[in-house]
Amino acid sequence: MRELFHVLLMERRGDNTAWDNYLQAAFEANKTWDQLVREILFPDEKDPQRAGAGFFYTKRLEAYGQNPIDHPGLTRDVGRLFLGIDLQCAQCHDHLFIGDYKQREFQGLYSVYLNVTAKGDQPVPAVIEKPLIKKHEFVSVFDSTKQETGPRIPFGVELPIPEAPAAGTPPASALALIARDLPRVDNDRFSRNIANRLWFLMIGRGLVHPLDLHHSDNPPSHPELLDLLAREFATHQFDIRWMLRELALSQTYQRSSQGDAIPEPPPPESYLWGIEKRLSAEQLLRSTLRATGDLERLEPPPGTAAAGEWKELRTRFLTAYANEPREPEGEYLATVKGALFALNDGKLLDLMKRRPGNLLDRVATLTAPTEIADEFYLTIFTRFPTDEERGEVQAIFEKDPARREQSLATLAWAMLASIEFGINH
Amino acid sequence: MHQPQLCQPWEHRLSRRRLLGTLAGGALATQGEALGPLFAPAMAEELRAEEKQAILIWLDGGLSQLESWDPKPKSPFGGPFRSIATSAPGIEVCELLSQTAKQMHHLALLRSVCTQDNSHSAGVARINRGDPKDRGVVYPFLGSAVAKLLGPTSSGLPPYIWIKPQSGGFKAADAGFLGARYGALALGDGKPPENLLLNPQITPEENELRNELRQRFNTRYAARRRREIADANSYVFDLAQTLMRREDLFDESKITDRDRERYGTHELGRHILQGRRMLEAGVRFVKVNSYHWDSHGDNFNACDSLVRQFDQPFAALIEDLADRGMLDNVLVIVLSEFGRTPKINSHVGRDHWPEAWSVAMAGTGLKRGVAVGKTNADGTFVDGPPHDIGHLFHTWLRALGVPPENMSYDNHGQPLPVANEACSAVGELLA
Repeated sequence: MRELFHVLLMERRGDNTAWDNYLQAAFEANKTWDQLVREILFPDEKDPQRAGAGFFYTKRLEAYGQNPIDHPGLTRDVGRLFLGIDLQCAQCHDHLFIGDYKQREFQGLYSVYLNVTAKGDQPVPAVIEKPLIKKHEFVSVFDSTKQETGPRIPFGVELPIPEAPAAGTPPASALALIARDLPRVDNDRFSRNIANRLWFLMIGRGLVHPLDLHHSDNPPSHPELLDLLAREFATHQFDIRWMLRELALSQTYQRSSQGDAIPEPPPPESYLWGIEKRLSAEQLLRSTLRATGDLERLEPPPGTAAAGEWKELRTRFLTAYANEPREPEGEYLATVKGALFALNDGKLLDLMKRRPGNLLDRVATLTAPTEIADEFYLTIFTRFPTDEERGEVQAIFEKDPARREQSLATLAWAMLASIEFGINH
Repeated sequence: MHQPQLCQPWEHRLSRRRLLGTLAGGALATQGEALGPLFAPAMAEELRAEEKQAILIWLDGGLSQLESWDPKPKSPFGGPFRSIATSAPGIEVCELLSQTAKQMHHLALLRSVCTQDNSHSAGVARINRGDPKDRGVVYPFLGSAVAKLLGPTSSGLPPYIWIKPQSGGFKAADAGFLGARYGALALGDGKPPENLLLNPQITPEENELRNELRQRFNTRYAARRRREIADANSYVFDLAQTLMRREDLFDESKITDRDRERYGTHELGRHILQGRRMLEAGVRFVKVNSYHWDSHGDNFNACDSLVRQFDQPFAALIEDLADRGMLDNVLVIVLSEFGRTPKINSHVGRDHWPEAWSVAMAGTGLKRGVAVGKTNADGTFVDGPPHDIGHLFHTWLRALGVPPENMSYDNHGQPLPVANEACSAVGELLA
């Protein structure tokens, strides 16, 4: 869960130990989604409950490459990830094709983030907020009428400029306002976004698709279902564990991705066939090691830093299969880089060598080709081979009995490099 | 001339038919949304068939126009080098380009380049992206743009290869909003990328066998499922294996002594020669980078060395492309982030000067043996209409057969012109 939500929230921007620990503790305690979001939106490095949560902001407030600090990008990500609305195009003007996305929706949130900076070189990520003392002015690039806004949750009411709690003290935090008003049961967009995202994680496609484009011209494929999921999730105090269990028990989740295409496959948004899902780089690494019989030997216990062979392999898998930083990881992405890794990476190919107790060692002791086929198929594809597939394995060994050892490695590789293994289907 | 602020939405609404056409054109993504479809897919198919190619030589730091394409000898800022006649009557260049001068009848110069940024950080990005209007997105560099607009050639090789000093790898940054798959496959020092060579543990026969098995598994898997995943998967494995089969492209023993001598054994010489080999193999877009052109100090000794290092292999490249008839299909561009100041500073250097500089080009779609535009007598400013990088992007895309006015990218529904719509092609350069 920690890894999953780390990738979802940070989109491969980088790692941070305090953040990892924060997420780990949060999911161990089954912290509710609204609580988690409240802490991320208003982090405090001194509060043990919230320490580490600031990484969501601080990493986005770092300059990268030749780009300036991206306050609009942070604003956009808060809208995308917590409300399911991508307001990027509404930064400079009302969105041209999405009637709902007005410039004021972006600017109201931006007025807060404009004043936030990351504290440099902190062991625990921390932000500084410049007090918001007046409304934020903006113009549309299409007409130069001046407009202004105070802090505002998109599609909510404009909030007053925060005042000082007492004379002589600094004004209250605008981030606290956002954290108070965004993750709420009565904010439909908040519950619908997360219901849709969890549905996507389990089922493979959002009811609203793409995930970041909730608006009236892009309705859910199953409006009553999304309403129900959002409502029930909110009623269950945004209990993520409960929600994932409910989804896993659904018929939709359990459907097969196979069918008879007459005349063509049903559209994915019908959910009539199961949707094939991408395995993350981390999942691929673990699945591969599980199959070759190396996972227990290599994976460090939770809470220990990655080192040695595990670290080396993990880096290679991430380089080959993870998306670029700032690119959401959604659907299956085939790349030449990944293909070349599968074909030629030495460390990966080493896993297909015989070592006491591993898969190749087990099959090497078997003599009947059908037994070998069964062992390979059960371990790698977690199913029995068909007669055709058993025959195929038999043919390989009959063709070249002298090269038995190589044939075993070849077979293991071809299965591990196949789509049946590399895709959640 | 009418210059609309933005493309109109109705011009870009995707019909089902057009969307399907686009998806057929690029099998990489599994759902249309991630592919970032072009709005004129049918056109992209036609363009692909024409097999136009390009090579961009990027002289990082800023080539001095005065020590190259626009010499001003005997002027207050002219410096010590003479200008020499070339094979194109009436066009003179700096004597440091003595080899290139013999190929000038193939080249087209633009001497009226006037751009915006005089810092490296802003200039490199702006020039490489063609200075599009700011729409809150990161635009692709030219190589990624061409990879997107034209795709791979029929060679099946990756469409964008970048030959550079130091490290290689898959470089996604050039692709901007187009997404990582339009990034460059970078050959560090011309060497093959990681995992390109068949792992020595695997014999070619085993490689064939294992891939045949893999394909058999995949065919069986895909038989009663949706096609998209299997198609995308086999597309990239095919591309990877096409690259692996062209191991010879990285085999230095295949280089003739004659080529080695003509291009030179120095870094830029080897890299430009590697670039030619990539073009011959059918790569759509090749970028060759050379660094250390930022001659704030000791400009003239630096140019005496650097410009000559460029001159020798560049002249050989033009000669070879012309001899083989490849200039009819290949666009050649020599570019920096800006030119250098006419004024010579107290370190005998020249500083950054975007106000008036030159760009050299050659090949498909362009006139040959011409110099378009001019600077004033001292070379300080453009004399006549100035041309920004946006004009050059229009010119180059048009030369490659892409009509920039009619093409836009689709960034998740946001239509983005492929070149700055406030600019147009430099007609005098186009054939």
